[in-house]
Amino acid sequence: MKKSLSFLLVLVMLLGITAMVPAEQKELEGEITFWHSFTQGARMEAIQEAANKFMELNPKVTIKMETYSWGDFNTKWNAGLMTGDLPDISTAQGTGEVVEMVNAGVISPVPDLIDEIGRDRFSERALSDMTRDGNNYGVPYYSHAQVMWYRQDLLEANNLEVPTTWKEFYDAAIALTKDGVYGAAVSLSPNDLLGTRYLNFYVQSGGGSLLNDDLSPNLTSELAIEGIKFWLDVYKNCSPAETINYTVLDHATLYYQGLTAFDFNSGFMVSGVQNNRPDLVQYVKCALLPTMNEGDPAYGAETSHIPLVLWNNAKAPEAAKAFLAFLYQEDNYVRFLDAVPVGMLPALKDITTNEKFLANPTVEQFKEEIAIISEAISLGSAIGFEHGPSVQASYLTSQGIVEEMFQDIITNGTEVEVAAQRAQDKLTEIFDTMIN
Amino acid sequence: MDLRHTFRRDRNLTRWLFVLPAMLVVISLLIYPVFSTVANSFTNRTLIRPAYKFTGLTNYINILKDVEFHNAFFNTIVWTFFSLLGQVVIGFIGALCLNKVRGKIPRTIYRICMIIPWAFPSIAIALVWKWLLNGIYGFIPSMLSQLNLSEGMVQFLSTPHLVLPTLVFVNIWFGSPLIMVNTYAALQTIPQDQYEAAQIDGANAWQSFRAITIPHIKVVIGLLVVLRTIWVFNSFDIIYMMTAGGPASVSTTMSIYIYKLGWTSRMTGKASAAAVILLIFLLVLCAVYFLLLRRWEKEDL
Amino acid sequence: MKGRSKLGPIFTHGFLIVMCVVSVFPLLWLLMSAFKSSAEMLANPTTIFPKQWTLENFETVLVTLKFTVNIRNSLIISLATTLIAITISTLAAYGIVRFFPKLGNAMTKLLITTYMFPAIMLVIPYGIIMARMGLTNTRFGLVMVYLSFSVPYAVWLLVGFFKTVPIGIEEAARIDGANKLQVFRVIVLPLVAPGMVATAIYTFINAWNEFLYAMILMSSSDKTTISVAVKTLEGADILNWGALMAACAVVVVPSIIFFCIIQNKITGGLSEGAVK
Repeated sequence: MKKSLSFLLVLVMLLGITAMVPAEQKELEGEITFWHSFTQGARMEAIQEAANKFMELNPKVTIKMETYSWGDFNTKWNAGLMTGDLPDISTAQGTGEVVEMVNAGVISPVPDLIDEIGRDRFSERALSDMTRDGNNYGVPYYSHAQVMWYRQDLLEANNLEVPTTWKEFYDAAIALTKDGVYGAAVSLSPNDLLGTRYLNFYVQSGGGSLLNDDLSPNLTSELAIEGIKFWLDVYKNCSPAETINYTVLDHATLYYQGLTAFDFNSGFMVSGVQNNRPDLVQYVKCALLPTMNEGDPAYGAETSHIPLVLWNNAKAPEAAKAFLAFLYQEDNYVRFLDAVPVGMLPALKDITTNEKFLANPTVEQFKEEIAIISEAISLGSAIGFEHGPSVQASYLTSQGIVEEMFQDIITNGTEVEVAAQRAQDKLTEIFDTMIN
Repeated sequence: MDLRHTFRRDRNLTRWLFVLPAMLVVISLLIYPVFSTVANSFTNRTLIRPAYKFTGLTNYINILKDVEFHNAFFNTIVWTFFSLLGQVVIGFIGALCLNKVRGKIPRTIYRICMIIPWAFPSIAIALVWKWLLNGIYGFIPSMLSQLNLSEGMVQFLSTPHLVLPTLVFVNIWFGSPLIMVNTYAALQTIPQDQYEAAQIDGANAWQSFRAITIPHIKVVIGLLVVLRTIWVFNSFDIIYMMTAGGPASVSTTMSIYIYKLGWTSRMTGKASAAAVILLIFLLVLCAVYFLLLRRWEKEDL
Repeated sequence: MKGRSKLGPIFTHGFLIVMCVVSVFPLLWLLMSAFKSSAEMLANPTTIFPKQWTLENFETVLVTLKFTVNIRNSLIISLATTLIAITISTLAAYGIVRFFPKLGNAMTKLLITTYMFPAIMLVIPYGIIMARMGLTNTRFGLVMVYLSFSVPYAVWLLVGFFKTVPIGIEEAARIDGANKLQVFRVIVLPLVAPGMVATAIYTFINAWNEFLYAMILMSSSDKTTISVAVKTLEGADILNWGALMAACAVVVVPSIIFFCIIQNKITGGLSEGAVK
């Protein structure tokens, strides 16, 4: 009796143990081609490290990375639609590009991925800006927003307070335009979107928008005309004449050189100054965008959420999604964000209080700035996305029409209202052709 | 004279072997793009959406009516004409001068120095010249201002009437080495004894230049000018990276106009139509060139 | 042998010196900037010589960003293009001039129609062709596309050079019993060598500097060329001017070295006593 009892006992124990062993994991395999725009050293290294780790954990997976700068990335996948050269996963320039990709029918919805990472860890706004027909098409990777940067030393030397309204900003910029320094530069190359961006700031501060509710363009509202005239004044009186041709590159360089007192940019400004004029970093501070009237509430003019997207082209979608999720694991994610501190703010809400994230010295040094930018992020969306995600919004910035309008007024002396109407008509025509 | 026929009567296959590889490469890579572009020009095709429909001559009509097209066309002619003029004149004189230099070392130094612009890719050209010509901190406006040759800093790239000339200057800087190197190489094929013979016959410098130098190089130079005209006409990179065609389309040439149509507005069909119009114009231009060249060649037979 | 120069030595050297200064100055500026730190370059934009020489930009570019890989790719592609282009173009040009006198003219004219389309229009059809042939992302595919714009020019110019070779020399050799290929190799080629070298230089530099096709037809990984790498650097959203200048310098200098090596082959030709 005792022998059979102990035998039974052992059997039960064995059964118990086998029950505890988890079901065999399905091994991930496949090749993943990842196109991203993290071309400079630190971010590229961070991503490569994550990829290497992933490949170690999943030996049957190979990840190939290709890097393109933003402008070239757009050209490359547009050409790829015809040549068939497309990636499996990629970054996108922002929510605007996601809409374009959805329209072109090249990316797959990823609601399961978002749920896996944790849907409530993302900001609702960020998710909704990448949603079409109820489907989530991108996973926000990092965020930033446009704020006003100034030079503390210049303000102090001239006894100026940090401006909070457009009028104050204008007066301060004029006051600081002397001794080889310019108050603020207004750059208007049609290759870039600074003209649209600046006009959008002004219009948003007045509660308006560059798109009507029906998504037709609006450059002729009272607010828009006022905005155009405002920036023309800034250009004439506080900006070097050269900037009529400037792209973001040339424009930012002015600030790095210490030639402009004010600028509008995201937290990337800090890295730019660090890389180029480390002696100026201590004077670089930011504030929320100027408002229309004293005491107006803060508003968000332009927030960017940089997403990761999954392409229909992916031959190993399971492995691709797993890798995407892997990038959000605490260590990998913080490591990546550390590559451009202040510039890239976490899309996962809980990471902002994560101790590893906060341990970065630059994050520590620019705590206040990060707080300001985070506030701006939560208030805004991409230009034109006040009405929800739309292709029209991304065309606003990509066609250079607003910049050409400014150039026309400045160079040819065209009347503002006439030029604005003309530009609006051009945009309407483009919207009609591209969307129908 | 009869011996010339010896060559022609050899109608065996060897002669095809000479020509075939090049023809194959070019034709196979030429046919599809040309047909594709011409076909697209009659449609309303866009870069992103796969569906399109046949629209006949609509694109052509719209472009020919477009004020911006006229502007771009005019700018392109100005750009091409003055660039070519500058490049040929400077390249030609440079080659002649170089040819006169005795002494291997100075000649080598000159040669290497003068070819340097050629080695610059367009992005380097744009970056460097934009910096040098910058109206705020550029070296050249600063120098001009300090030497009192100008009042204040000249805004080369933002003053409307200065933009195109400045770009032409940069293009001449970049393009002269090509003409110079080829002219120089052509000058090297002239046998010295022809000059000696001419001198013995009592010809002076100008006469021997006309009778010996020019005939030897004119075929090479003539062909080069035709080719260069087409290239400069279509050149895109330098202008795009320096001013993007601005300000206010002052420096927009046909290639930038087409780029904006095809890549920014994504209207492939319309851009193709513009490209075909360009093609027709260039074909006509070349036909004229060849007539002139043939007449020029016949002059000394 | 002198005295027939219509250009006095003062003018000659004066013109050449001015040309040299104008040609070299931007390069000088570029190289000096590459040796400056970004901070110095931005703080003092009008000074030429660095106050403090630094190699950090080159280190960033060559080591951190691994431009050496791109340099290798560009070298392979450019040299391959040049070799193949010169070979088939020289053969074709000679064939056109000697064996197809009437048809030849038409052929050369056909060739230049390739240049009448701006590259921005051709890039997508080429991309489609490469994709159909399975050559996307291969160095060979890129070389093929580069040949498409190198060969016409090369043939075009070499036709001009071959036309300067007097047919009498070749006929003399034929009478002496040489066949077509021998005549070509031994007699004619040395005479057009300067032209070939000039053409080779141009082909090399064009292939080295070419950006658009390389970007669209290759993926930006260990196979991409150096001009794509530089352009990518320029478009990055964090900008480092010092690295950008060093990257440009790295692109420019090899072309100049290539030229220095083969430039003395541009002289020579008939003056070396080939005429009997």
